[in-house]
Amino acid sequence: MNLVYEKFKEVAQTLLPVVILVMILCFTIVDVDTSVIVRFLIGSVMLLIGLSVFLWGVDLAMNPIGEHMSHEIATSRSIYKIGILSFLLGFLVTVAEPDLLVLGQQIQAASGGTVSASLIVYVISFGVGIMISLGIFRLLRDRPLNIFMAITYSIIIGLGVFVSEEFFAISFDASGATTGALTTPFVLAISLGLSTVKGGRKSEENSFGLVGIMSAGPILAVMLMSIISGQKHIQGTAEAWAPAQGVLGPILSALPAIFLESIVALAPIAILFFIFNFAKFKLAKDEMVQVLKGLSFTLLGLTLFLTAVNSGFMDMGRIIGMELAAMSPWLLIGIAFMMGLIVVLVEPAVHVLGQQIEEVTSGHIPVKLIRMTLSIAVGTAIALSMVRIVVPAVKLWYFVIPGFVIAILLSLRSDPVFVGIAYDAGGVASGPMAATFVLAFAQGAAAVIPTANVLVDGFGVIAMIATAPVLSINLLGTIFRHKKVEYPELEKKEKVPTSHLLEERDMLHKCIIAVVDRGFAEKAIEVAREAGASGATILRGRGTDEHQKVKLPIINIELQPEKEIVLFVTREQVSGAIANSLLSNEQLAGDGKIKVFISPTEAMAETFVVPKQMESEPDPAPAETE
Amino acid sequence: MIDIDTLLFVIVNRGKANAILKKAQELGAASGTIFLGEGTVQSKLLEAIGLTETHKEILMISSSRDLCSQLHALLNKEFMLSKRNQGIAFSIPFTQWQPGRKLDEEALDNLNPSHYCIITIVDKGRGKACIKAARAAGARGGTLIHGRGAGIPTDFYFPLVIEPQKEILLVVSAKEKVAAIQNKIFTDLELGKPGHGILFTLPVTQTTGLYENRAEESKGAVL
Repeated sequence: MNLVYEKFKEVAQTLLPVVILVMILCFTIVDVDTSVIVRFLIGSVMLLIGLSVFLWGVDLAMNPIGEHMSHEIATSRSIYKIGILSFLLGFLVTVAEPDLLVLGQQIQAASGGTVSASLIVYVISFGVGIMISLGIFRLLRDRPLNIFMAITYSIIIGLGVFVSEEFFAISFDASGATTGALTTPFVLAISLGLSTVKGGRKSEENSFGLVGIMSAGPILAVMLMSIISGQKHIQGTAEAWAPAQGVLGPILSALPAIFLESIVALAPIAILFFIFNFAKFKLAKDEMVQVLKGLSFTLLGLTLFLTAVNSGFMDMGRIIGMELAAMSPWLLIGIAFMMGLIVVLVEPAVHVLGQQIEEVTSGHIPVKLIRMTLSIAVGTAIALSMVRIVVPAVKLWYFVIPGFVIAILLSLRSDPVFVGIAYDAGGVASGPMAATFVLAFAQGAAAVIPTANVLVDGFGVIAMIATAPVLSINLLGTIFRHKKVEYPELEKKEKVPTSHLLEERDMLHKCIIAVVDRGFAEKAIEVAREAGASGATILRGRGTDEHQKVKLPIINIELQPEKEIVLFVTREQVSGAIANSLLSNEQLAGDGKIKVFISPTEAMAETFVVPKQMESEPDPAPAETE
Repeated sequence: MIDIDTLLFVIVNRGKANAILKKAQELGAASGTIFLGEGTVQSKLLEAIGLTETHKEILMISSSRDLCSQLHALLNKEFMLSKRNQGIAFSIPFTQWQPGRKLDEEALDNLNPSHYCIITIVDKGRGKACIKAARAAGARGGTLIHGRGAGIPTDFYFPLVIEPQKEILLVVSAKEKVAAIQNKIFTDLELGKPGHGILFTLPVTQTTGLYENRAEESKGAVL
């Protein structure tokens, strides 16, 4: 029952503040129709159920699919195959994204039909495909992410000078549309899978960043399209808005369409997986059933979630925005900040990212800290967007360009793991909640304020939400790095001779556990092998140590150093020698802070070369072995 | 009894390990290491909808014998480990090695452990099968930990080392059942074949929160 309960609790904790804030507003200053309030409450319950179910589905289906796919990519030896495969992955996942088609239609309408919606969708998907395959090459080749992103965003900033403000905003909105509820978890899983398959010292920092790289694709594509086609201004206005009537009617009428959209969005991932499963993976029946269950949960959860957000939350956001803007700009900005603080935590991808951070760093990077940073960043971003809506002289690029320039500079000095998380967070924060609830709120405000343009200012909010986390988490990473214990670089490893297998059976064995600081496990194994050990298994964990205690000021979060635990099973005769040589190695003892534990009793061990007879002979009781 | 220390393993739900470690350090434990694992659920309903995993944290504290008993008492009292589904704790005699140290072989004869911890290391993906086998032979549950083997570099087009992913299964079980579980896992997973994985057991001197012998734990029995 545990996991069900946990997921519900997690979602409820993030959703509750939003509901409370909206309810307080409804009963004090904002005058909202009762039917809208009831719809919002029903929507909240649906969102709670939908998001929890969706998150299980992602656990069950997306993660294994991502794992198998990335294994397939990483182990294919040909550079072309890797390139084509990863391009296809990015292209197909994006092309099916429903939000993108909506965006395409908006641009088509705005440009008076000169650019067709499907062309826009293909161009953007093409951009994503290219970026994903570049990103995967970067990962496999171990090129530093911060340099890669610095180059990418420099190009974006350079192009940004040439495009009009409208298209500047639209290009960021396109990136928000591609990093939808479904694509983000999938790409995160791919990135995690690749980095675990690849392994190595950089596997931790390689687990992040692919979403960030991917979200740069649409920005580049739209900007280039605007420059090439000469399209500068948007003529259209946002469609007229009227609140939906009734309580259950709008929810029920939205459901089928959203269900179809969700199927379409999920289809490419599922089909790609089935093709590969048929041709390559050939999963066992059990596993297949798990994945199928997961896919259905994902579909069900996504449908519920999107319906709830679209029909329950959007009208509410719009009305609050309109009413507040009519009252006082200061109130609008203040409430916008509070809204940003809490709404971002309801984004599905934020949960997925948080879980991944915990898995990858074994809890070394506190998820709480990342969430807090995200909250403050998005709150500030939405508040600043409101400033922009109220004061027309303030342009979008005043914030976005300096934001990215500072973020790039910081990323050069920031902790490498954080750079990936930061760029990912940009894509993650601009998910479906931002695209509906927050966007409607901004558009409502813009509709009331005469100097604002509903369409352009609406797009601008997404751009701001995408920028702020990149900046703030890079900043956090810079602070983290200075607070953190430094791990010295390992000396170049010499070729280790292949392990000699144990030949004797009925040997007495000992279990040795060595705990070292992160990065020293390979060294420990090397030393142990010289002393006669054979295989070893490495676990990743975090530890506490009086000398290495680091606390972040003010918020009082303790940073625990990362540890690696190496498990050896060795013959009794050599165990002492191994332990001694591990401890006497200067580098391990000094920098690696090694601790060695030996199990003093004989471990009854069956090592892998034990011949068949083992089965016929029952295991001797421990007393007899001695 | 001089040279025998213990490593105390505590397996609890995610997020609880820090609190336990803090308390343990107040009692005098020097340092602890935490890693993440997955527990197993045994429920037909949850299996049907695909919820067979729970997230766990495993906390490893090295301590002297006396301290270890105190820690067990603490876990029992403050963290309610003796209640069902709150987590388990067990201690394995280990010696913190110092150069030139000798093992006190005699002390080991007196251990006479009541439980054993069976550790199986297999390739990734086979851990579930391991649990199945262990269950079939009477084990109550197990904890899966993801790790990696020390791989031999393989040359690909990229300077790419494929690290073999491993799964480590911990099963704590009473002395009487150990042989059966071991044999079942060994035969079911064909560990006899080279490269199929290894299995070994470690003695457990004290447990808290193991459901199969709750009566004993409530007395706080040692050994």
